[in-house]
Amino acid sequence: MLEYAGSQRAGLRAEREAPGLLSIVRSLDWILLLGIAGLVVVGLWGVAGVTKFAIPNDPSYYLNRQILYACVGGVVLVAAALVDPDLYRRYWRAIFIGTAVVIAGVLLIGHAARGSTRWISLGFFTFQPSEFGKLLFVLALAGMLAERQRIVGAWATTLRVVGLGLVPVVLVFAQPDLGTALVYLAALGAILFVAGVPWRHLAVLGGAVVFIAVGVLWAGPAAGVSVLKSYQQQRLTCFTHPSTCSVAARYNVEQSITTVGSGQTLGRGLNGATQVNLGFLPESQTDFVFAGFAEQRGFVGAALLLGLYLLVLWRGLRVITVARDLFSAVVAGGIVVALLFQIFVNVGMTMGIAPITGIPLPFVSVGGSSLIANLAAMGVLLAICARGRVSRYSRRR
Amino acid sequence: MASTTTRRPGLPRRARSEEGDAEQTPVEPYRLTPKVARRVALLGALVLIGFAALLGRLWALQVLAGTHYAARAQANQLRTVRVAAPRGLIVDRSRNVLVTNKAVTSVELWPSGLPKVYARRVAELRALAHITRVNVRQVTRLILERRRAGDMLDPVVVRATAPGPMLTYLEERAGDFPGLTLARSFVRRYPHGALAAQLLGYVAQISQQRSGVEAQYDAYLRGVAGSARVRVDSLGRPRSDRTLTTQPQPGQTVRLTIDTGLQLAAQNALQYGIQLAHNNHQWAADGGAIVALNPQDGSILALASSPTYDPAVFTGRVTEHKLAAQGLTPKSALDRNYPSLDRALDGLYPPGSTFKPLTAIAALQEHLVKPYAFYPCTGTYVAPEDLAHRVWHNWDPNVNQGMDLPTALAQSCDTYFYRVGNTFFDLPSDRGQPEQRWARAFGFGQASGTDMGLMQAGLLPTIGWRHRTYTRASDSCCWQVDRLWKPGDSIQLAIGQGDLLVTPLQMARFYAAIANGGKLVTPHDLLDVENPNGTIVPTTAPAAPRPIPGLDPAYLKVVQQGLFEGTHDTFGTSYGVFGNFPVSIAGKTGTAQKIVTLAGYKGEQDQSWWCGYGPANDPKTPPQLVVCAVIENGGEGGTAAAPAAERVFAKFFNVPATQTGFIHSD
Repeated sequence: MLEYAGSQRAGLRAEREAPGLLSIVRSLDWILLLGIAGLVVVGLWGVAGVTKFAIPNDPSYYLNRQILYACVGGVVLVAAALVDPDLYRRYWRAIFIGTAVVIAGVLLIGHAARGSTRWISLGFFTFQPSEFGKLLFVLALAGMLAERQRIVGAWATTLRVVGLGLVPVVLVFAQPDLGTALVYLAALGAILFVAGVPWRHLAVLGGAVVFIAVGVLWAGPAAGVSVLKSYQQQRLTCFTHPSTCSVAARYNVEQSITTVGSGQTLGRGLNGATQVNLGFLPESQTDFVFAGFAEQRGFVGAALLLGLYLLVLWRGLRVITVARDLFSAVVAGGIVVALLFQIFVNVGMTMGIAPITGIPLPFVSVGGSSLIANLAAMGVLLAICARGRVSRYSRRR
Repeated sequence: MASTTTRRPGLPRRARSEEGDAEQTPVEPYRLTPKVARRVALLGALVLIGFAALLGRLWALQVLAGTHYAARAQANQLRTVRVAAPRGLIVDRSRNVLVTNKAVTSVELWPSGLPKVYARRVAELRALAHITRVNVRQVTRLILERRRAGDMLDPVVVRATAPGPMLTYLEERAGDFPGLTLARSFVRRYPHGALAAQLLGYVAQISQQRSGVEAQYDAYLRGVAGSARVRVDSLGRPRSDRTLTTQPQPGQTVRLTIDTGLQLAAQNALQYGIQLAHNNHQWAADGGAIVALNPQDGSILALASSPTYDPAVFTGRVTEHKLAAQGLTPKSALDRNYPSLDRALDGLYPPGSTFKPLTAIAALQEHLVKPYAFYPCTGTYVAPEDLAHRVWHNWDPNVNQGMDLPTALAQSCDTYFYRVGNTFFDLPSDRGQPEQRWARAFGFGQASGTDMGLMQAGLLPTIGWRHRTYTRASDSCCWQVDRLWKPGDSIQLAIGQGDLLVTPLQMARFYAAIANGGKLVTPHDLLDVENPNGTIVPTTAPAAPRPIPGLDPAYLKVVQQGLFEGTHDTFGTSYGVFGNFPVSIAGKTGTAQKIVTLAGYKGEQDQSWWCGYGPANDPKTPPQLVVCAVIENGGEGGTAAAPAAERVFAKFFNVPATQTGFIHSD
């Protein structure tokens, strides 16, 4: 547990000897950057397809907006890549409290859509804080862990991190947004895992999660206490027991599977994609965008998209290994696992191998908050990688 | 832990001061320990497993089972819908078109395409109803019915025929009316307007109600609907034009026995007869019927009923207002004397003297009179057994002579037939009711058995009928008297009065049997049914004329002679009309008293009748036409109905109508 001893000092020294801009740019992970750029481009390509007939006589309405968000996200990415991540570590409390307050504020003043309050209207743009929360809470919790890195093996540390981490989970769950709450939980697990929390603790926490899940899904409803909304419950039971599920409840997933399958190898093209264009695919621009993309572009296009995700995740995992300190490593781990979780649950849901939850597909789903937040996270990842390489290089020298 | 938090603000500064020492003493940097590497490797394995699952599933769905899902997606969006076939034509015997179709553009609404927001939906329906001038409540009712039936694929017809400017307006603003479509369809067109309106009937496009020929031969006219494929979206709204999979088969052409020219002449003759009645101060005359029949085969050549209506009122949007203007609503029908009633088939009248030939036939057959023996025709008649001395009057009080049967028919002597009627009453009960039996043999008291659907059977009074009708329940004061068949009943039946009710078609059928030598024909109006390409469709032929069993042709000759004298003898009741007609016509007038309740005309009114045939007594040509005319409340038969019937003969034989001479008739 004490392997990380001294890393804080190293980080602090690195801060003093702030590396030049040139060296940072020189040590950027260009492959990761290329992967991200590829994802953004493929994402825009997909959006251009699935939204072509969404608004009559304006095929590029959503595409234009999404390009604007991508540009903003690009600027945010560059900025995040140049900022020293150590800054976040130092101000993790402010980050935590600020984010928690904004997310709590959503519950009070937020803008509801489809029965869920997730958005704050800023006039020109409805802003979804929980998307940015995915990055910000990872930063805050990693900062807390870094502060206690000497006693990372202690139960006290583990419980404190878990206790703090559950705050955003509960806030987001109350919106209600089960999907994002699950993403937060996955990130929390990843933070503990990468920080080096003993297996013993992880096993206990895992047991607790299983216990709570059983309680919420089976024991709770049996005892008359329902934590989940009925539709959430139904989606989960539909996934585990498809045969007991009504036709209406299975409609979305059946249509989505049909949509994916109908794309075949080369796709049906934009005009031939009847499932998207005629509205058989629900939420074809957001939650089920992968199915629409797979219908229009076929196995070739969908595999290309998954390949790009794999590239980014692989480079992301590498970033953990080159991080210059514990904080950076934990942040990188949280970001990568959150991304993996979202990709797996969203893509799996469109193909019927994951339950239906309202998680957007990173870089592809229409939506500014998600795109900008994901690009910001990638910027942080790039920054960690660059700083880590610079410090290694200087150390080696 | 507590110390960590309290020292927080000072931490960076302190750390920095430690940093100075650290620079001298080598500090162990953060290193990738085997433990972290193991954990990262585990995460990598997780990524690989997850992506293997995703890619495997993707491969399975898209490449292995792709064709299956592509077929499913295809089936998702294709619906088979019904394509209505154009209705068949109705033509007359010379293939003049009586009813055809015209292409129109209708305004239709897909309920599923309406806005989901209630206020906007209501606003759209209001605006659309206003533009198309339809009652908005009617539209919402249709939509509700459609929704209740679970029918998403057939639009609601808001307005069946939309005029050009309305269409242009709607086309330009189609974006403001989600769910609106302008569809081409067919409605009925009547080139001859109100010609034979009651006979042809109507088919209402929206409610699909039918009547007349349209209902009777619907199976031929309807055609076979085709089917088409249409692409729909997930809400069932069509997104493409229909592609025909099965061609609709247009309905077959129904060829009627009607002759357009004769039908028109009959309708004009009816108006002429009513006008004549008015000229004779019979102001209550306002309706009537003419039946023109081929006596050899029973085919109907003309079937006129007045008043009439314009059947075009049923094409397109049927509104209460438009129906009321034509007298087709219950309230307006009373004001307009029931235009939709086909009086030729369903009008019930006492036949009056036109029934006397039947009495004559029955009396001859039962040997109650000798054809050429003279019996008194006097101004009044009192039945010898009648202790009450009820006096029965002749229509002409100034007559006192002996008459044989033909003369009695020709001059329509009531007292002659009163005596015959009394003879019928005096028959012993084992002889039954011979007059009613013969009446039934000639088709009275039963529907005429035609292919024209339901029609009135009329009323042939019998002893049993009186017993069944007058009971303690129905006639509490006098049932014990009313249920008895009395001498007056037989006497009145003999001259076609009393309880007897007949339809003009029954009378025409009866006179056809006299004309053709005693064969009962089946009146019918269907000549044949033809496919659109001209081939004949097999149909059930009407029953062939059937000789009336037991009828002696010699006796029929006597009656024929009486009818001939009626138009050719100077004392004949319709000599003034037919005496100088170029073609020899035989016929009988009738003036039937009927108690009517009309505004301002309470009490008994004379129903003007004339029935006859021609050419009569022509050794070369058998009779070709039977005409039966009735003018409601038209006065004497010779003054209104006979001249009207003459017009029909004039048209049929293509000769000029003669000037009506002096009429002395009942």
